[in-house]
Amino acid sequence: MSQVFHTKEFANGLTLVSEPIADVASSAITISLPAGVRFDPEGRAGSASVLAEWSFRGAGGRDTRGLNDALDALGCQHHENVSSRHIVFSATQLGRNLPAVLEIFADILRRPALDDKTFAPSLDLIRQDLDALEDEPSRKAMMQLREKFYPHPLGRGIYGSAESLAVLSAEGLRQHAAACMSPAGAIVSVAGDFDWDRLDGLVGEHLGDWSVSAPTAGETRPPARGITHIPKDSAQVHIALAHPTVTVSDDQYYAARLAATVLSGGMSSRLFTEVREKRGLVYHVSTSYHSLKDHAGMFTYAGAAPAKAQETLEVTVGELRRVSEDLTEAELDKAKTQLKSSLVMRGESTAARAGAISADWYHLKRLRSLAEIARDVDAVKVEDVKAHLQQWPARDFVMLVIGPEPLDTSCLTL
Amino acid sequence: MEFKNTTLSNGLTVIAEVNPSAKSMAAGFFAKTGSRDETDEIAGVSHFLEHMMFKGTDRRGALEVNLEFDELGASYNAFTSEENTVYFAGVLPEFQTAMLDLLGDLLRPALRQEDFDMEKGVILDEIARYEDQPTFKMYERLMASHFRGHPLSRNVLGTPDSITALKRDDMQQYFDRRYSPGNVTLIGVGNIDWDAFVAKAGDTCSHWKPFDADRTLSPCGGSGLRIAVTDRKVNREHIGIMSPAPAAQDDSRFAAQLLSTIVGDSTGSRLYYALIDPAIADEAHTAYDMLDGTGGFLTFISTDPQRASQALEIALDEFKKIMDAGFSDAELQAAKNKIASAATLKGELPMGRLTAVGFDWVYRKEYMPLARQIETLFSVTADEVMTVAREFDLTKVTVLALGPLEEI
Repeated sequence: MSQVFHTKEFANGLTLVSEPIADVASSAITISLPAGVRFDPEGRAGSASVLAEWSFRGAGGRDTRGLNDALDALGCQHHENVSSRHIVFSATQLGRNLPAVLEIFADILRRPALDDKTFAPSLDLIRQDLDALEDEPSRKAMMQLREKFYPHPLGRGIYGSAESLAVLSAEGLRQHAAACMSPAGAIVSVAGDFDWDRLDGLVGEHLGDWSVSAPTAGETRPPARGITHIPKDSAQVHIALAHPTVTVSDDQYYAARLAATVLSGGMSSRLFTEVREKRGLVYHVSTSYHSLKDHAGMFTYAGAAPAKAQETLEVTVGELRRVSEDLTEAELDKAKTQLKSSLVMRGESTAARAGAISADWYHLKRLRSLAEIARDVDAVKVEDVKAHLQQWPARDFVMLVIGPEPLDTSCLTL
Repeated sequence: MEFKNTTLSNGLTVIAEVNPSAKSMAAGFFAKTGSRDETDEIAGVSHFLEHMMFKGTDRRGALEVNLEFDELGASYNAFTSEENTVYFAGVLPEFQTAMLDLLGDLLRPALRQEDFDMEKGVILDEIARYEDQPTFKMYERLMASHFRGHPLSRNVLGTPDSITALKRDDMQQYFDRRYSPGNVTLIGVGNIDWDAFVAKAGDTCSHWKPFDADRTLSPCGGSGLRIAVTDRKVNREHIGIMSPAPAAQDDSRFAAQLLSTIVGDSTGSRLYYALIDPAIADEAHTAYDMLDGTGGFLTFISTDPQRASQALEIALDEFKKIMDAGFSDAELQAAKNKIASAATLKGELPMGRLTAVGFDWVYRKEYMPLARQIETLFSVTADEVMTVAREFDLTKVTVLALGPLEEI
């Protein structure tokens, strides 16, 4: 299959990346702005989340209803997300509606209403999202683990805290928006049914003369790390572990991805086989690779009944370590097939491709074709993975447990 | 795109939507069986059986099954609902035959005692996992209340007691009663070699012996009860509202889908403006659930305990407003555009088409290409949507709230 990419870097620091896809009627767009949770002012965590919500309460002369109705009329499904670095607006629609959707998003980016009267409900929704985490212990465990693992404030929880939300104000958040909603370092990615020349022209027309300097990224501080137990009278013990690994831009990236696949890809993976199939310790156990620009980790989760939680922890940690010793050729070949296969199948989704090329640009400043990725995956040898795992061993864990009792964590330091 | 179908001599129907320009293919066995076909003594057997299907056959052990799937680079899973159990896999086209050989073999499981005993623990873990998810618990209790006295009231997972008591032979008997080839359909979508697909289906499945596997259908108007389940370990109030809706066989199901979008889509709907926009709730959406011979409109609301009663009354008021005064043409058009857009996106993935094609066949023995589906959607009139609202009465609700409140 031949993949085509088009990219353009605008003078204001915004980059447009795109991948036309044949035989589809949809188009997907993501707009990543350098306004993520790491830019939330100290003591005002949650700012990005409130801002992402507030940005849709009217823009470009339309009020909330006018804006919503305009997007709905175009059959546009949109989502707003906050990550470490970015506020990400993503939208999917029929290809022919993309130009109109883009025009509306330009209003949201450059002329958001950010009215006083819509501030309070926007803030209220984020406060409720924070409250709702108490009823989602597995999600809460992973979010708080990230906060302790990554240097502060890179892994901060996106909803902030009750205290930090309480001090947000409409005027303060407007000032924050003025500083962060910037094209400098922004990435617009489009995949699916569109015409490049037309897209290039539209982005230039709507966003080309948008001029706001890049927000200042404050200093980072070392992560809190440690082993934390949050008591909760829950039916399961939610175990979350993280240990360091290489970033996307590193030479050993594919070795790390393949190791994660051997450990957790499919039902014949090590974790599934040893923790669930052979011992029946859990319903869910998995490890996954996650990377920021300059820091990355392998994040492992297991949910076990209290009586099985200790053994679950020990077997899981054992498996995370064992693979560096006895990884086989057959396992690696299987992992390669799985990784390449899933890349092709995910490539059929315009939304997945828009996300993938945006991430590629952010991490690598270029776009990787599926053929290139397949080649690089195939080139990894067993020795490469073992060497990688020896350099980045399953040690120095950060751990967070939510459940009735703490666990014996001596296996982490063995 | 081309639609193909055939039936094996033992009654197994094989259908496919062949799309030569897709980059992958997907196949699934759709068994028309679920929790509604159980009895209370064996509650959860359909779902437990779904797990056991992956534990091997006479030809393959459990670990071999897993290994084979992964060596094919397959994306695979299964799910059980009140009415259906579906086993599916997606692979690159070159692995079609190998995947079907595996998937077809699985559907005649060995049900080994040691695997059964081990997996019982996993099922109990799965039940415990959902114990920590109040929204799911609320949904289970809402179904149990709305469908009180009806087979659809039964939980898919079963209970710790029913699962603990379940015997391997109970499961075998259930399998022998339900998994007749006439009660299962093999669906294929994407870049399929049809001739090879049918040939392999024949190789793998012709030996399945046919028998009758019926399901008694009965209507259900909903209990109309309003219940608060008090759980002080839960932080927020999770509210479920259910009312009757057209069945999967009903022509008015397109109108029903439009109605649920107008009422409670996550953007631009009545519930969005009445509850999310003013932040009275952080989640409020309505879905249309098509079932065999019946159906339901389900609304979920997540809110602070202090504002729960207010949120509920607002939602019920919005339902009444629609019935009394209808909706604008702009609202109808927006709903059409959003549904069409979402269906188009989903349809670009073989896995997305698999359930659409599969359930069209399971419920109506019908194949509808995506383009015709969208055409039909756009031809629905405002009157047809209003007829659904009035005939099924959006205000005839069963309510189930789970959270700190003692009453709602």
